[in-house]
Amino acid sequence: MILAMLRVMTLGLLRDRGALVLAFVLPPAIFVIFASIFSGTTSDKLDLKIAIANLSSTPASQRLEEALRKEPAFEVIGALRLNRAEVESLVKQGAADVGLVIRGEIDDTGAAPLEVLVEPSKLMVGSIVSGRVQELVARRLPDLLLSRTAITLKRVVRTFTPEQSARLAAAIEAAALVSEPQAATHAPGLVTTASVGSSESSGATVTYYAGAVAILFLLFASLQSAAILIEERNTGIIDRIAIGPGGSAVVVLGKLMFLTVQGIMQVGLIFIVAQLMYEVDVTRRLDLWMLITVAAALGASGLALAVVTACTTKQQAQTVSTFVVLICSAVGGSMVPRFMMPEFLQTIGRFTPNTWAIEAYYGVFWRQETLSDVIPEIVSLVAMAVVGTACALVVSRRRLRF
Amino acid sequence: MEIPAALEIHDLSACYGDREILRRINMRIERGEIFGLFGQNGAGKTTLIRAICGRLKPRKGTIMISGQAIRHGVVRQIGLVPQEIALYQHLTILENLQVFGRLSGLSAAATKDAIIEVIKHTALADRLHERVEVLSGGWKRRVNIAAAILHRPALLILDEPMVGVDIEARITLQNVILNLRDSGVGILLITHDLQQAETLCTQVGFLHQGVIGPQGAPRALLDLAFDGQHEIIIVSEQPVSATDEAVLRGRGFSPVEGGQCWSVISNSPLQEITEHLEQSGIATKEIRFRKPGLDSLFLRLADQSDTGLRGSRP
Repeated sequence: MILAMLRVMTLGLLRDRGALVLAFVLPPAIFVIFASIFSGTTSDKLDLKIAIANLSSTPASQRLEEALRKEPAFEVIGALRLNRAEVESLVKQGAADVGLVIRGEIDDTGAAPLEVLVEPSKLMVGSIVSGRVQELVARRLPDLLLSRTAITLKRVVRTFTPEQSARLAAAIEAAALVSEPQAATHAPGLVTTASVGSSESSGATVTYYAGAVAILFLLFASLQSAAILIEERNTGIIDRIAIGPGGSAVVVLGKLMFLTVQGIMQVGLIFIVAQLMYEVDVTRRLDLWMLITVAAALGASGLALAVVTACTTKQQAQTVSTFVVLICSAVGGSMVPRFMMPEFLQTIGRFTPNTWAIEAYYGVFWRQETLSDVIPEIVSLVAMAVVGTACALVVSRRRLRF
Repeated sequence: MEIPAALEIHDLSACYGDREILRRINMRIERGEIFGLFGQNGAGKTTLIRAICGRLKPRKGTIMISGQAIRHGVVRQIGLVPQEIALYQHLTILENLQVFGRLSGLSAAATKDAIIEVIKHTALADRLHERVEVLSGGWKRRVNIAAAILHRPALLILDEPMVGVDIEARITLQNVILNLRDSGVGILLITHDLQQAETLCTQVGFLHQGVIGPQGAPRALLDLAFDGQHEIIIVSEQPVSATDEAVLRGRGFSPVEGGQCWSVISNSPLQEITEHLEQSGIATKEIRFRKPGLDSLFLRLADQSDTGLRGSRP
């Protein structure tokens, strides 16, 4: 009897292509996406875009810049001669994941000669780059590091007379006794990290994830709610409405309106929480927020209607919806920021509504971008709405014939 | 001035791709008339509904609703009651009527008036504020009809309006349909229940493989087909043997349900038939005698065009 039930379930799975995809294609696909992301952050190949400003013109700094440009872990972007402001701007715009300013001689121990510029939401990247630069200097430019060490050592021991040798021994002994050696506190590191824009990293992260979560749930809710269209088709409601003055278009357009309003309210709630609890200043840029939110809600609704009208059963629609939402969210940056992804995934991600919405919200609320800066994202979302709704109208009309 | 027919179809042919589904259909439904359309699954009934509703462009022929050729505006004069319960289950009866009133093009005020009118015809007043999902099958069917007549259509298409309802609810529904007929609506009733159709319909037609057969008033059609004949149904004591079956078939009997119920339409006296069965050694536990109905006519017509249809009664 148990085997009979097992057979029923097995046949059910084998005959439902959607369930098969959900069970056996989606898990490895999601795994591949996350594996690509996280293997990228732990292997040699980081795929980080870096902008360099070399403010020093000594041979040593030239050699360091050359070594950085040849380093496979970094993709150096921007012009050959950038200044600090230009690098900072590239980082703020998101064109560069990180900026590196060579601001002094490497053998100068007065201050950290290298400065890493990073957005607060990407502090982790700053730490990674700092480590990689220090490792690079040690590997490719050991002489520079040695001269820097010698200067530090000379500062401690001055000359190597017998008396100084005794002082060196005493200093080493004393350094061993204290938890933080005096020499280390006096000698600045090779690399220092600085935030660009606001100094509050939590604000940047909250702003990022407000957009990321908003578009994720817009897609989920729209696809879920649009599935009623299949029920209306199966129960003959659409047949009945289709002979009315509005035809089947009323069903699709009415849903588009509902899903859009529902989406605006959802996103509104997320940003209200973001404002009240995390000080994301939504009210100051309410006009742009509304514009982006309407575009995002329309885009998600259009996509949902296109997906649902293309499906024949509610079960199929649920399967396809889950697939679409998970893939778009994973690749589009709703789960993990896109800068952590390998280049090919970042490229794919550019074609998802998640990326458009996240970039628009983040641009407006963190990078303080203007309408003209976020127009491409808004246009993409609206275009998705138009194409999706048009597809839904055509398909639902065609389905009435058969 | 003459009132135009609710539905008039002339020489209609329709195809899906290269496959011809409807061939040279002609029919007419007057206002205040119920036309029963019968046909087996795949006969073309659904295609005919689609063509009438303007969802399928005919290859040939014309469809007139209330004297006007079919086009988008004219289609509004149709009320469609699909076989399924085409209602929003989570809404109340009143909310459903409000929604479908507005979707049929009525203003808010006109919808309000229409609802008052419709609940009189369909006797829905007692449970207007209950959700459809909690109603019984009979109530749901009544709301299903009510939602289709809010805009006072000239033609009402009822696709199996009484499937899955008990006898009491069926009687109520029949009264609702008769009320609508009396109010001057032309009704196209698609059903497999031929006995019900015999009671309700003023005209009937048989659709088989895309062709519509004889049409007319049920009694007139029956008299024409079975003039002076009667139907004898016998129920044997046990499943008949091959020899008995040969005897029965030789006498014109055909199986009705399973292997123990056989019927024949004949003008031979009942006594003669029963004596013949006794002489052949066929023991019967029940003999019924009746005038042939539409079901018998349907079987005869199906037999004439396709002997393979005999196994399944409508």
